[in-house]
Amino acid sequence: MDEARRAALNTWLSSQAGAAIEITAASLLSGGAIQQNWAISVTRDGSPEEWVLRTDNAAVLAVSLPRTAEYALLSAAFAEGVTVPEPLFCCADTGVIGAPFFVMRRVGGIAAGHRLAKAAAAQGGDAPLVHALGRELARIHRIRPPRADLAFLGEPDADAGTAFIAAMRTRLDAAGTPRPAVEWGLAALERNRPPPLPPVLCHNDFRTGNLMVEQHAVTAVLDWEFAAWGDPHADLGWLCAPCWRFGNPTLEAGGLGPRDALLEGYGPAADPARLPFWELAASIRWAVIAADQGARHLSGQDRGLELALTAHIIPELELDILRQAEALDA
Amino acid sequence: MLESPDATDLLNTAREALLQKLLPALPAHLHYEARMAASAIAIATRAIAADAAHAKAQLQAFAGDAATFAARIRAGEFAPGTPLHAQASALLEEMVRLRCAVSAPRALR
Repeated sequence: MDEARRAALNTWLSSQAGAAIEITAASLLSGGAIQQNWAISVTRDGSPEEWVLRTDNAAVLAVSLPRTAEYALLSAAFAEGVTVPEPLFCCADTGVIGAPFFVMRRVGGIAAGHRLAKAAAAQGGDAPLVHALGRELARIHRIRPPRADLAFLGEPDADAGTAFIAAMRTRLDAAGTPRPAVEWGLAALERNRPPPLPPVLCHNDFRTGNLMVEQHAVTAVLDWEFAAWGDPHADLGWLCAPCWRFGNPTLEAGGLGPRDALLEGYGPAADPARLPFWELAASIRWAVIAADQGARHLSGQDRGLELALTAHIIPELELDILRQAEALDA
Repeated sequence: MLESPDATDLLNTAREALLQKLLPALPAHLHYEARMAASAIAIATRAIAADAAHAKAQLQAFAGDAATFAARIRAGEFAPGTPLHAQASALLEEMVRLRCAVSAPRALR
């Protein structure tokens, strides 16, 4: 962050806070293929505070929400008691630092999926943590349409399952690579659609790598850019899908703990009979995302090892899809 | 006609040098990239060894090509209880196992 940018930011933040804000340190945090996260230390009228500034990277996934929308989601979640960093200020004006951004309070903890899963496996599963995750999801799902502050999410689909199948087929067609195994999974979903439920806010990327955890407690649910109205079981299924277990296949909830503890934490609104549909949907969705990421490398748009290797996750997901489709049809 | 060591040998040798000699000498922030490079070499090595001939022949005999197979699955053919379900399922299993053998052999264990 250069001097001119820092000065512009100091001025803007001070006007928003109604207090003298001065940035005393700024460093780029790791992680985030889509965004840049800066750890910034400030003084507010002389008192130190620790914040995070979140803005866009050059390469932005077309399907992700802009920063201003993510700020509105964070605010809605914070108001509902979801464990998220306190949202502070949002700037849609690209004139301040070159791109829209928002600022939130910094929280402790790590968001490293592998490390979390390893720690949970070492103690034979972390049921209290997974129980807490269920409670977090239930709080998120209390946010329901219509919401004027979340109007950018559009109208909810009448049937989230049917809409999911159609959306995945559209993306497969746009990508242009025929994927018979993924189609096999989608056909199984189509045969086994659960009846629609009233829509709720789904986080849509609620998995171990997007949770900040400190000493077995969630300190923040991160990365809201894929949030949308949908079936609450989509989030439960995404967390429980085989692909997010980090080498702990028996710890079905995110490789962290037992699925039962997650559902118990969530409460009676969780219907275990709907999970196989949404767990298969999760494998399919990740395969379609991975294919899109591989395509960014192949097209020359964003060449690099990480995107190239992401495409090679697809065959393993296809193996999951075949197993899950068979179980769903059984 | 080509000189030895062949492609597989060269890739294996390069991967070994990367992991055993280069990686320990690299600063920590480059370890992830180096490990990804080693993974890419391993996948490429397995891709050279993969024999797709049988799966390709099966696919061609059953559905012509992958695009046609995918389209017919989407159209609802091969559902459980239909005469061709088992054959379609077995073909997919063979194709996916072959793809995993290259991209993610640990998934087959």
